[in-house]
Amino acid sequence: MKSRWAGLIIPVAIVVVLALMPTFVNNYWLRIATGALMWAGLACSWNMLGGYAGYINFGQSAFFGLGAYTTALLMGDPINLPFFVTIPAGIAVTAICAVVVGGPTLRLRGAYFAIATWAFAEALTQFANVMNFTGGIGGLNLPPFLNERFFYYTMVGAAVLTYLITWALFEHSRFGLKVKALRDHEAAAEAMGINTSLVKLQTFVLSAVTASVFGAIFAYWVTFINPKSVFGGDITDQMVVMVLLGGLGSLRGPAIGGVGLFVINRLIWMHWGDTAFYIAILGAAIVLVVLFLPDGIAGLFTRRSTKSGTVLDKAVGKLVGGGEGGRG
Amino acid sequence: MASTSSPQSGSAPENRASDAILAVRDLYRHFGGIKAANGVTLEVGRREIAGLIGPNGSGKSTLFSLVAGTVKPDSGQISFDGHEIAGMNAHRIARLGLARTFQIPAMFDNMTVTENLLAAAAQGHWHGAKERAAETLALLKLEPVAENRASDLSGGQQKLLEFGRVVMRQASLILLDEVTAGVHPNIRKIILEAIARLRERGISFLIIEHDMEMVRNVCDRIIVMDAGRVVTSGAFEDIVRNSEVMQTYLGRPQ
Repeated sequence: MKSRWAGLIIPVAIVVVLALMPTFVNNYWLRIATGALMWAGLACSWNMLGGYAGYINFGQSAFFGLGAYTTALLMGDPINLPFFVTIPAGIAVTAICAVVVGGPTLRLRGAYFAIATWAFAEALTQFANVMNFTGGIGGLNLPPFLNERFFYYTMVGAAVLTYLITWALFEHSRFGLKVKALRDHEAAAEAMGINTSLVKLQTFVLSAVTASVFGAIFAYWVTFINPKSVFGGDITDQMVVMVLLGGLGSLRGPAIGGVGLFVINRLIWMHWGDTAFYIAILGAAIVLVVLFLPDGIAGLFTRRSTKSGTVLDKAVGKLVGGGEGGRG
Repeated sequence: MASTSSPQSGSAPENRASDAILAVRDLYRHFGGIKAANGVTLEVGRREIAGLIGPNGSGKSTLFSLVAGTVKPDSGQISFDGHEIAGMNAHRIARLGLARTFQIPAMFDNMTVTENLLAAAAQGHWHGAKERAAETLALLKLEPVAENRASDLSGGQQKLLEFGRVVMRQASLILLDEVTAGVHPNIRKIILEAIARLRERGISFLIIEHDMEMVRNVCDRIIVMDAGRVVTSGAFEDIVRNSEVMQTYLGRPQ
């Protein structure tokens, strides 16, 4: 069982570094670390459905925003609930919406689901823009709580929990086998008794509520939200790109992509004061990864096949061809 | 129709209803103008190995999809192990104890060979699945590639794995769609031995096969399909003696 303990070294080291981080970095870098953890968690949430089940969600920002708005509304006047009470409320709202959106569309081919999620996020943005109770375009303020360590450790807790759940559920359980089976061949999975529609919906709901938790923490952290800052399509784009670069359908892929891209983004912003340059780097990186590293950066660390039928093939196959696409 | 020929006609009810694990009656399914199932009636007895033969396009694979629930019938009845399953979802039929292979191997490409086997047991038959996966790997001589990704296997190995997943399912009826087509004779031998062993355990089979040698050696009874119907059924020797069938199937008069 030597190898089993060896496998624990990296996770334990990560947790120790995360726990001690506030003692050796200043508040500026602590904020960057908090943001990096949030993006690693969001990328992981997108990867649950996109990477493990092969269903591309173009509207994940909807659930991030639902968590953020639920917390903002419940913490603000006249309700004034404490922060940690608002998180389960956001989870409940998000789960209901995910069932309503995913229930009918996950039975169809991937393209219908992708369009439905994208449209749902757009609809929520417009809804938040025009309604009074959401503060319209002006958005909502939350009671300020200026304690960087609190938000850092809250984000550590959420991110570690997200990765633990993903590890246990998708990498080490029957449920994970069912999810990956339906990604690779839906008809064969059905022929083995797997209720693929149900498993997809369960995965989608888990993915959505995870994003909503990060939305709730984000809202309280930045103390001000508006429709663009929490429902914006660029939030989903970031998650997709982080997972693609890091590695679809793996545990470390979203962590590498999420932390790596967010830190690069901040460094570019620090040196040039603008992130237009970041978009150009991102574009080039995506092209290179799709062409040469279909398993993402995480694929560099594992012995993987170069043949057709990668996770990327499966996800794209579901999107454009539906059925059992991906075998070239 | 061959209703007057000596092998019993497929459209007439067979006197084995009581011990049949699968009974298909008047099954219709049209795709546009193509009558893929045009009134199929057949039965598979318990512990029987029934061979399904017929020319390309005669509706054999469509019949599998209809029985397994992948395709829904326009009309007709399918009774499996006492349950009426026509129109039922594929996963529910599978949970009743039906397993099938696909004509083109339907691998879980990004999972290892072992994971492919475990996934087949993930719904329902999980107890002891790891031990059964190890047994199945040994039975099918797939141990050397147990940790390889399924997409990296050769065509013959993929056929074996496709068969191995069916073995993992602990089914009462197994539908095999050309499971030995194009595989090396050694691999074919492994599959045939495994079928014999499973039959001893009381499992029934319906087998689509083009290789007449295999049909002769393995099957208790042959069912011949043409143009979406069962033309006739009977013992291999009776079928071969029937010149009409041989014309249909092999395109040559005897």
